Amino acid sequence: MSAYVLEQVFNGLILGSMYALVAIGFSMIYGIVRLINFAHGDIVMVGAFVTLALIAVPGLPFPLIALLVMAAGLILGVLIERAAFRPMRGAPQVTGFIASLAVSILMQNLGVLILTAQPRNFMLPEYLQTIFHLGPLTVRAIDLAILIASVVLMAVLVLMVKRTRLGIAMRATAENIDAARLMGININRVIMFAFAIGSSLAGMAGLMWGGKFGQIDPLLGFVPGLKAFVAAVIGGVGSIPGAMLGGYLLGLAEVLFVGLLPPIYSAYRDAFVFGTLILILLILPNGLLGRSVEERA
Amino acid sequence: MRARVMDRVWLPAALILSGALAVWVLRASLDDYLLSIFNFVGINIILAVSLNLTNGFTGLFSLGHPGFMAVGGYLTAILTFPAGRKAMLLPALPAWLAAQQWPLLPALLAGGLAASLTALVVGFPVLRLRGHYLAVATMGFLIIVQVLIINLESYTRGPLGLNGLPMLTNLWWVYLWVVAVIYVCWKIKHSSLGRTMLAVREDEMAAQCLGVNLARIRILALTLGAFFAGVAGGLWAHLVTAITPTSFSLIMAFNLVVMVVIGGSGSITGAILAASGLTLLTEVLRPLEENLEMYGINEVIMAVGLLAVLIFRPQGFFGSREPSLLSGRGRIRSNGRSGARE
Amino acid sequence: MLELDDIHVFLKRTYVLKGISLFVRRGEIVALIGANGAGKSTTLAAISGLRRPRQGRMVFRPEPGGPELDLTKAPAEEIVAAGLSHCPEGRQIFSQLTVKENLRIGAYLRRDQEAVGKDLDWVCRLFPVLAERLGQRAGTLSGGEQMMLAIGRALMSRPKLLLMDEPSLGLAPLIVEQIFEILARLNREGVTLLLVEQNAQLALELAQRAYVLETGRMTLTGTGKELAGNELVQRAYLGAV
Repeated sequence: MSAYVLEQVFNGLILGSMYALVAIGFSMIYGIVRLINFAHGDIVMVGAFVTLALIAVPGLPFPLIALLVMAAGLILGVLIERAAFRPMRGAPQVTGFIASLAVSILMQNLGVLILTAQPRNFMLPEYLQTIFHLGPLTVRAIDLAILIASVVLMAVLVLMVKRTRLGIAMRATAENIDAARLMGININRVIMFAFAIGSSLAGMAGLMWGGKFGQIDPLLGFVPGLKAFVAAVIGGVGSIPGAMLGGYLLGLAEVLFVGLLPPIYSAYRDAFVFGTLILILLILPNGLLGRSVEERA
Repeated sequence: MRARVMDRVWLPAALILSGALAVWVLRASLDDYLLSIFNFVGINIILAVSLNLTNGFTGLFSLGHPGFMAVGGYLTAILTFPAGRKAMLLPALPAWLAAQQWPLLPALLAGGLAASLTALVVGFPVLRLRGHYLAVATMGFLIIVQVLIINLESYTRGPLGLNGLPMLTNLWWVYLWVVAVIYVCWKIKHSSLGRTMLAVREDEMAAQCLGVNLARIRILALTLGAFFAGVAGGLWAHLVTAITPTSFSLIMAFNLVVMVVIGGSGSITGAILAASGLTLLTEVLRPLEENLEMYGINEVIMAVGLLAVLIFRPQGFFGSREPSLLSGRGRIRSNGRSGARE
Repeated sequence: MLELDDIHVFLKRTYVLKGISLFVRRGEIVALIGANGAGKSTTLAAISGLRRPRQGRMVFRPEPGGPELDLTKAPAEEIVAAGLSHCPEGRQIFSQLTVKENLRIGAYLRRDQEAVGKDLDWVCRLFPVLAERLGQRAGTLSGGEQMMLAIGRALMSRPKLLLMDEPSLGLAPLIVEQIFEILARLNREGVTLLLVEQNAQLALELAQRAYVLETGRMTLTGTGKELAGNELVQRAYLGAV
């Protein structure tokens, strides 16, 4: 493979990692409350801006910043759940959808109001900007950091879901809420944790996004959020491995689409992504790895 | 008997005539800026009421309305554009099309029809989806339309859009179409078709068991709504005298949804009032946005308002009803039964 | 131990339970029989906190002479914690989880890990079939095995009162016999049982007392034998001519 293609694949993996982190959050939330959380993408945006603010504080080591950003995402996610999702429980699906859309638009416009729509530059600490040469590839440290951190976070998440008490409770709740309640599981807490964990991952994705692309603005969360949703659908909404798979597939497809096809087509990139979404919804509604999660026991 | 005829003819006729009178007075007394606000109110009424047909009556959740506006708006603009300039700016247009230059009304009709056709084509696959998946698919449609318009530059002039459109829209045209859309939707709502749509909204499975052809009803609702959206797009383009791909965005779709929800899905009166109110609110907030540089405050208020309504009064202000003054008497007497329960 | 007094329950807009009353004494087996749709499952759902009654009084006293739990207000999690376990209709095991995870989640609220491990062994002895399939996904089990898993899971919380909803549903007679034997055994070991059953004959044989529920109302009550001998019951539920 030529160096160019290799580079595209590498970029695709990085983009895919970020999509995967956000998609996992979508799927976790969807799996339990059966609602699409539109505001999820905007949590990414908040994560990016919080990172920017924290970087400006002198003396904060970057790993600590990363943790704080995840915490910020966590808190925001829980707030959103309390304010917008909990009151919608029991309402028809579409109502929850509109509500989360409203929260998303609220967040974006609050961002514009407070921060103005001007893109800001993202300043990474020196050591993350160093360049490495891996064979034919030229990569920055931040790229590698994104890949490694994503894989680590995903591994931790999978372990948590499979082994811990909370993880089993989440899986049970996702399958059958009433039966879970009969086990003594506190549904409200499980939902809160789902939002918390998913949102902390989204916050981290915001940090990564800023690091990768260098420029952030309050509207940055919207389209990537939608694309991460598409990734979750491709993998099968409600399935965490599906979200990861979907994220990487979408990231790779998007980058390769732009990188390998003649330049005329690259502007159609977004149309391509959403066309894929519609196709998947029509042909393979449960995605690649999902089961029919629509009907609950 | 006399009372019934009076109810069914007298009240609507009086409303239409007083509306016409109001239009005449407004045009004579207001300056251009204020007039344009009323024009926008009218256009938003057309949009909200037609969206109500799709979303409110039938329970389909479509965010694609601005996409239909774009189709209708662009076609109308292309048709009214002076022939000579057209050939220059849009080189890919077929010669017969480039040579056309139509007056407003036929152009609007063509735009509306084109939007309907788009709805038909898009509707067949997409309307098989349900609930929030349908919503997301319509959102995808919207984005795809935007991307296509931006990239098919030789047909649409891409991101630059078309400007210098003749300002053909005036309050009379807008009023005409407002009356048309209200008439059509009112008639539908109080007919068996309307009751079928409401039945589909309430319980699809039950409706199917009663023999309702779901697919047909849903496509009909979408297509009809799209027609008016297309017309509204044309009206809008000739009011603003310019049309660009970003004119018809997801934000607009969201604002329309806010109008339908706040007014009450399924209520025509609600849609009218909400559209008027929210358009005026946007105008009132505009100086805040531009002078105090508080950009985005308008959307913030819309979003908070929507959330508040969803939490505290999810059926909107009117629910699915019309004020009894306007509909109760007419309906009960006209067919003896108490009509569909709402 | 359990007392319901004039309970009215609405499911969405349907009036399902129209003022029912029943009680269960410690150590008893009480059966609730009736036709499909009479409201038996709704009764259990109301007791375990899944559905709230609109009106009426329900209390659970797990310890003799101890505190009462108001079942009309307590959340389902608290009810389970108090020692009331509901094995729902249709088994409703978590098919995506393994057999072992299903059993473990039955003990979700318990903190005494060692005792939980012992109870796991106990359940596996009670239902040897489950011991064989511990690592398998619960969805792959047969109907009878799933029923055993559901019971085992309900037992893992060491309940004082067990609500069983239609254990015989959809199962072969041989398996149903086994299950009922196990229920009798559990009762002898100290578990109080409230059994909802469509199979009136089996239920009346097992139970000391029974109630008959018809379209939301309690119509008859008595000992198992009394009801089995009752003509109306015989004609309606026992297939006599």
